[in-house]
Amino acid sequence: MNSKFSRIVVLIVLAAMLVAGCAPQATEVPSTVFKVAIVMPSSITDMAFSQSMYEGLKKVQAEMGGESAMEIAYSENMFKVPDAAAAIRDYASKGYNLVIAHGSQYGTSLQQIAPDFPKTAFAWGTSLDTFQAEGINNVFAYQAEAQEGGYVLGVVAAMMSKSNIIGETGPVDAGDAKLYIEGFQKGVLATKPDAQVSVTYTGSFSDVSLMATAAETHIAAGADMLTGSSQSVVGAIGICKDKGAFWFGTQWDQTSLAPEAVIASQVYDWTGIIKDMIASVKAGVMGGKGYTLTFKNGGLVIAYNPAITVPAEVKAAADAAIAAINDGAIAP
Amino acid sequence: MTRYLSSGRPILEEMRMQGIVKRFPGVLANDHVDFDVRTGEVHALLGENGAGKSTLMRQLYGMYKPDEGKILIDGKEMHFNSPQDAINAGIGMIHQHFMLVPGLTVVENIALGLKSSRGPVLDLDRVEKRVLELGEQYGLKVDPRAYVWQLAVGEQQRIEIIKALYRGASLLVLDEPTAVLTPQEVDDLFVTFKRMASEGHALIFISHKLNEVLAISNRITVLRDGKNAGTRPNENVTRVELAQMMVGRPVILQYNRPPVEAGPVRLRIQDLHVRGDRGKDAVDGVSLEICGGEILGLAGVSGNGQRELAEALAGMRPVRQGRIILNDKEVTNGSPLQHINVGQSYIPEERMKEGAIREFSVADNMILADHGKKPYSRHTFLDFKAIREQVGKIVSDFNVKTPSLDTPVKNLSGGNIQKLILGRELSRCPSVLIASQPTRGVDIGASEYIHQRLLEQRLCGTATLLISEDLDEIRALSDRIAVMYEGRIIGIVDSKDATPDRLGLMMAGVETA
Amino acid sequence: MAELFTLPVLVGILYSGIRLATPYLFAAIGETFAQRSGVLNLGVEGIMLMGAFSGFYVGMKTGSPWLGLLAAAVVGILMGLLMSFISITMQAEQGISGIGLHLFGLGLSSLLFKTTMGGVESIEGFKAVRIPLLADIPYVGESLFNHNLLVYAAFLLVPLSTWVLNKTTLGLKIRAVGQNPQAADTLGVNVTRVRYFCVCLGGMLAGIAGASLSIALINLFQENMTNGMGFIAVALVYFGGWRPLGVMGGALLFSFVNAFQLWIQVKGINIPSDFAIMMPYVLTILALAFATKRAQGPAALSKPYERGEN
Repeated sequence: MNSKFSRIVVLIVLAAMLVAGCAPQATEVPSTVFKVAIVMPSSITDMAFSQSMYEGLKKVQAEMGGESAMEIAYSENMFKVPDAAAAIRDYASKGYNLVIAHGSQYGTSLQQIAPDFPKTAFAWGTSLDTFQAEGINNVFAYQAEAQEGGYVLGVVAAMMSKSNIIGETGPVDAGDAKLYIEGFQKGVLATKPDAQVSVTYTGSFSDVSLMATAAETHIAAGADMLTGSSQSVVGAIGICKDKGAFWFGTQWDQTSLAPEAVIASQVYDWTGIIKDMIASVKAGVMGGKGYTLTFKNGGLVIAYNPAITVPAEVKAAADAAIAAINDGAIAP
Repeated sequence: MTRYLSSGRPILEEMRMQGIVKRFPGVLANDHVDFDVRTGEVHALLGENGAGKSTLMRQLYGMYKPDEGKILIDGKEMHFNSPQDAINAGIGMIHQHFMLVPGLTVVENIALGLKSSRGPVLDLDRVEKRVLELGEQYGLKVDPRAYVWQLAVGEQQRIEIIKALYRGASLLVLDEPTAVLTPQEVDDLFVTFKRMASEGHALIFISHKLNEVLAISNRITVLRDGKNAGTRPNENVTRVELAQMMVGRPVILQYNRPPVEAGPVRLRIQDLHVRGDRGKDAVDGVSLEICGGEILGLAGVSGNGQRELAEALAGMRPVRQGRIILNDKEVTNGSPLQHINVGQSYIPEERMKEGAIREFSVADNMILADHGKKPYSRHTFLDFKAIREQVGKIVSDFNVKTPSLDTPVKNLSGGNIQKLILGRELSRCPSVLIASQPTRGVDIGASEYIHQRLLEQRLCGTATLLISEDLDEIRALSDRIAVMYEGRIIGIVDSKDATPDRLGLMMAGVETA
Repeated sequence: MAELFTLPVLVGILYSGIRLATPYLFAAIGETFAQRSGVLNLGVEGIMLMGAFSGFYVGMKTGSPWLGLLAAAVVGILMGLLMSFISITMQAEQGISGIGLHLFGLGLSSLLFKTTMGGVESIEGFKAVRIPLLADIPYVGESLFNHNLLVYAAFLLVPLSTWVLNKTTLGLKIRAVGQNPQAADTLGVNVTRVRYFCVCLGGMLAGIAGASLSIALINLFQENMTNGMGFIAVALVYFGGWRPLGVMGGALLFSFVNAFQLWIQVKGINIPSDFAIMMPYVLTILALAFATKRAQGPAALSKPYERGEN
């Protein structure tokens, strides 16, 4: 009797911890505030996809006047789509003005949820489909033209490589990672047609260990310049540092992880898009627009690591590539 | 003056339990029991299942704490908090369900929990040497390096005894040690007992078998309903008296079995092969014929294919090869219902798993098979009035003690559940009856009743296959006795020629002409 | 295909495979002890995460990977104690408690990471120690004998745990308690104490497994960085038939095939990357399917023990 009771108590405590850990971290605020919620597949400190969007939101919040003007609620590590769908529905029913589904895998769920909340605006990325063809008018879509920065970084990598072997490693052969990796490859080969570019995929966005082994493998195969996409690349960056290879980052500025190894990163700056969406919603337009991040609209930025000297002619070539992309002379 | 065993351990002169009371929720398991044992003697503890024998001994072995009463060893009061305390006091226990770890070797089982001469590192060579010495001294042959799962039950039991002796046990408690043995193995075991007693050990022998108790004990104590029903020296007591002490009223041990004219062959089994749970043929070519008015006893040490044979005959286990013919109709691999429909009834070995549904009421269990037939069903609906009438009649006919017809069967005693199943199966007036271990775990009173009913069926012309591990039961009821060994019928003998010795040899796999 | 069977590739596979196998070895051998004593701990993943975080954090703050290792071991033991209390003393269903422990470790390590660090950083972990002479063996020397200390420790753990399980009185108690706790109890073995010991030992090794990632192999901490390794470690225990040597075989098979499939991709062998990624899992399942019959697990696995039950 007694032991059964205590067993139940322990289970309840554990369950309570769980619920506390998963619940969206939101507080009640007066309704004059613009309320934004975001559901994302990894953590806000992933140094990649999720962090770029979260930091963008924080920046917009600061510009708008802090928490009294804009409230941000987030659910991170929603790598399971059903959990994410539940969180999206939950935010919508709590009256958030804009609910962002930050992961291409959430699309199908969003398509089912959005029509149930016509007064809520939703945003989905990365994708360019706003579901208007399906008669849904309250979904924005956004995508990073990751191949643009990939191309430019590829140019830099090709010019700086001594072995002329370059390694790329991504999570899955799709979406944002695929765009970036193919753009990078194009940039390398356009600069040095005889360079060798190897590509690996680990099958996981979060397998740090396997991503590290992938980098290890590229380096063992002779690569001296590496790049990759997803939050798991932190493992690969550490290996580059240990083995004296160089790294190019994407989505977020990854320099701080290994100042001796990261040459440059393509950084996503979502603030312009976020501001436009908020303005649209305030003006009564709840969706239907597709946004892209490009060099031209300032959404993509190349951040060089000040600790590593990049020769002037390399930087000049990179700038030329950006200019060519912007006026359409190059389509990565 | 302290005396010593040949192992150098001090002899435990006398163990005395005084006024032991042990309560479990809703049960008074031991009610002021006095019991004692002295060096050099075998003291039998006799009683029905549930009489409180094991509970009493578990308190002696430190597994339970008595609610009241004292345990004295050589006059000193002991408080055992765990088996380790009892072991330290020189007590060893051989449990009914062997306490061996099958995945370990014999020496590992014996060394388990003991300090090693080499500190944290095992010294199995030393253990092995001592095991062989003990085996020599007490006539207990074992292979020290074999894995326990490879060994036959008789050998496992010898390991249990060596395990206790190795730990310096001076007083040994043996809980139903003969239940799994052939008569020859029982004889060997008794030789060991005598040798141990003459060495100065004290032995407590728990049993419910009257013959064995009389064969080996110096004194006999009977427990009934948790109370001591009397302690007698062996010389002054008879089987009938002991049985009466166990049950609390006179019982019949010898049945009257008048000759019956054999009817037609009702059950015909031809070259039957049935797979066991391990994928091998557990029944390996059995052929039998049983006539109306005949009880064929099937004896054998458990695990020689009897269970699989019974299940195949009931239609619950697929037949791989061979035929089963019931009342001239082939029912090989037929469903249980097909068997029932040609006049067969089945009393399964596992009465709570296969014979009844624990949570169902007495009435519901009674109509399990026949709920679709008259008088229980009318126009596909259950006729509750008829059910209660009919079931009430069976319950009173078969002497089932139950508070009501709506009581869940799990609340009934083993004997009453068995009578309920018997009543259900016999009320169908079967022409063939398969009875598997019909009195296992059932008290003497209920066994006696069940035996009488089986003999009545014989007089009515039913062909009965009686599968039992209890040789006394087989010999008392059967017209012919078949012995099963390793999936085959090793021989069939007429009941009057079936001495325990002869059956015992057959059970051990020796064919006798 | 031929370019895969060159010396540099084989040496590379050997080197990467050994590193990949290290965390699995720690975690799976720890779990072997727990399961041999009859406790199924599905919380290994959560303990690994807590070990990875605490090892990293203490290592970063003190600058000493040794203190980080110690912290990971202590945290692992504490998590093991929690699991023991719930599953042995409280006799809660072991599968459920293990999953609870996993989620607890996942959540708590993320929370601690956010509040104490806030962002991914890297540190100097255990350095590779080149073993003289042995590392000079042609071809394989560098792959086998130029690793950090935790890699060597993981592989030394295999003979050590085999010896403990088979040759010591403690090992005998562990095996007995996992197979027939009642028999062990009747011989005076304290079933509860043995199980607590094994689960805590398993916890300690799981904590070290996590630390081997964060302060020896990758040298950073990221939320959920173990990414299911703890569950694979539990599967490896079954795969290895509850024997440390078998567990090592499973861990190496899985790791070598993983390293091999990356080389397939690097060398540009023309098969879809999805197939390459599947290889270690497919091979492990195949090996399991063919090997499963020989080993018998601890009979009392995941059954709580209470004296007086038959």
